[in-house]
Amino acid sequence: MNNAEKIRFDAIVVGAGLAGSAAAMVLAREGLNVALVERGQKPGGKNYFGGAIYTHAIAEVLPDFMERRPPFERPVTEAGFWFLAEDGLTRATVQGGKLDVEPADAYITLRADFDPWWAEQAQDVGAFLIPKTTVVDFIRDPAGQVIGVQTDRPQGDIYAPVVIICEGVNNLLTQKLGLIDHDLEPSHVALAFKQVISLPAETINARFGLPDNDHGLAVSVLGDVSLGLPGMGFVYTNKKSVSVGLGMMLDKLAEYRLRPYDILQRYLEHPAIAPLVKDGQLLEYGGHLIPEGGYRDMPQLYTGGAMVAGDAASMVNALHWEGTNMAIIAGKLAAETAIDAHERGDFSAQTLSAYESRLREGFILKDLKQYRNFAKFLETHPEFMDVYPDFLNDALGQFFSAYGKPKRELFQNIFGALTHRRPLFRAVGDMISMTRSVMGL
Amino acid sequence: MGMKYGDAFEAKELPQDLKESLPDVYVDDLLMTLKYFIDEEKAHLWIKDHDVCERCEDKPCLTFCPVGVYKLGHDGRIQVAHQSCVECGSCRVGCPYRNIGWELPRGGFGVAYKFG
Ligand SMILES: Cc1cc2nc3c(=O)[nH]c(=O)nc-3n(C[C@H](O)[C@H](O)[C@H](O)COP(=O)(O)OP(=O)(O)OC[C@H]3O[C@@H](n4cnc5c(N)ncnc54)[C@H](O)[C@@H]3O)c2cc1C
Ligand code: SF4
Ligand code: SF4
Repeated sequence: MNNAEKIRFDAIVVGAGLAGSAAAMVLAREGLNVALVERGQKPGGKNYFGGAIYTHAIAEVLPDFMERRPPFERPVTEAGFWFLAEDGLTRATVQGGKLDVEPADAYITLRADFDPWWAEQAQDVGAFLIPKTTVVDFIRDPAGQVIGVQTDRPQGDIYAPVVIICEGVNNLLTQKLGLIDHDLEPSHVALAFKQVISLPAETINARFGLPDNDHGLAVSVLGDVSLGLPGMGFVYTNKKSVSVGLGMMLDKLAEYRLRPYDILQRYLEHPAIAPLVKDGQLLEYGGHLIPEGGYRDMPQLYTGGAMVAGDAASMVNALHWEGTNMAIIAGKLAAETAIDAHERGDFSAQTLSAYESRLREGFILKDLKQYRNFAKFLETHPEFMDVYPDFLNDALGQFFSAYGKPKRELFQNIFGALTHRRPLFRAVGDMISMTRSVMGL
Repeated sequence: MGMKYGDAFEAKELPQDLKESLPDVYVDDLLMTLKYFIDEEKAHLWIKDHDVCERCEDKPCLTFCPVGVYKLGHDGRIQVAHQSCVECGSCRVGCPYRNIGWELPRGGFGVAYKFG
């Protein structure tokens, strides 16, 4: 093939997920010719989350997003934790106030709806979507600089001076480029799986205490849900369905030889959960990995002619189920760096290193650094998933039922319940190391 | 701290009461809800070396795959029902012997979530 016949773009984005379409949108809006290559039949078909998506990130890329009718299910108007004991449930959620604003901080959504809309916003400003196409390798010049990608289409080579890799958690291309020298470790990834269960909107509102369809609940569920092993459940109310699932560390699933669907079923049959989904119909089941290593598993973020954003670079704050916002913002920052590189006509690693500086200025690298010890904390403190939720249920149960008893006795009982499960000094130690891990100390 | 690989892989047991509290779900009932574009020509998953599986005592792939792709055949060999794979990546990194060949399906093929 001679030079003139080569397919050329100003930039290639691999993956039309949250990071990829954000990057393509920013590049195309600047007038650059962008190829957005997606392996699925259409954007979103491969993508998976709980979940809730954060508007601060969407607005950074698309300020007028609300006018473009995003396919949101419900705003998150109540959020927090549910602590599931063997036979009880303690709810610690907040509602109203800061959560009752328009647009909301976060919206519950389904990726098969959201991602196509998100990619359309990029297409609207001129990005060229190439679906049903898997990128299999890079094209590099003799000096090793990336100058394009190979796809699995016949004559599928595409050339561009800069490639933004937004391939998600299975970061085969990032590894192929040598940006990271190891694959994910089972102890650094959570396998998350869920059921989307159909229910009439009124039933959802009644069961979850929501005033109407414009209110939604997003909770993380701790305790019995993960059999006392490191893991966390979730419940999200969609418009006419609820998403119930959980994530557990893959090493534990492997070592204990557990079947994800059995654990999920046990969770759905829990006496506090079953009434919430009773008579619902299963719409879809599925599973996906979450990279939880964070800062520890971050690859080198750039090389000559290429940058990596989103899950592919382990940009997830596991404690808060935050990955969408990091992916979107990293995609945007990579795109801005590519725009600068075009202005300079220089796509060397040196120029693209500005991407990492941009990330450092923002919240992403700061947050990930801060939370880097949290996954480790959970590994070494499994009781956090088990003992404390049980304790909370007992303690609150006693608190609210122990009228007529002297208060001192009550507190003795409560502390007795905790220390029975875990010596007090260890419990205090847990809280301190938990705080330290979250504060990044 | 993390999972041990190869012959050092250590299976663990849940307390009996927890184990017994787990239901026995028939995964095919869940698979019915999933939509796939099946590649009849190419398998994107394969066992690299069946002898290694024979040596692998605990065979965790039989359990951790969220859609039950790996099954033990009558001949004692691992069978791979790659058509039901949801491309999560767990087997790629979770097989203690790294004995599973794993590629992305060809463009357009594989799972297509309707809700996601
Ligand atoms: C069950 C679950 C619940 C979650 N809940 C939340 C939540 O509530 N809130 C939150 O903020 N985050 C949540 N997360 C995390 C969040 O979903 C991810 O961090 C986010 O989707 C990452 O976006 P991304 O663009 O990096 O990757 P993805 O969204 O995974 O996109 C990657 C894209 O690249 C494509 N692709 C990959 N390789 C190739 C290739 N070689 N060629 C062509 N295309 C390719 C894929 O098909 C896909 O479209 C959750 C994750 C899971 C699994
Ligand atoms: S594929 Fe891996 S986990 Fe499964 S039996 Fe073979 S070696 Fe063991
Ligand atoms: S990628 Fe996930 S769904 Fe596919 S076979 Fe492996 S573990 Fe199962």
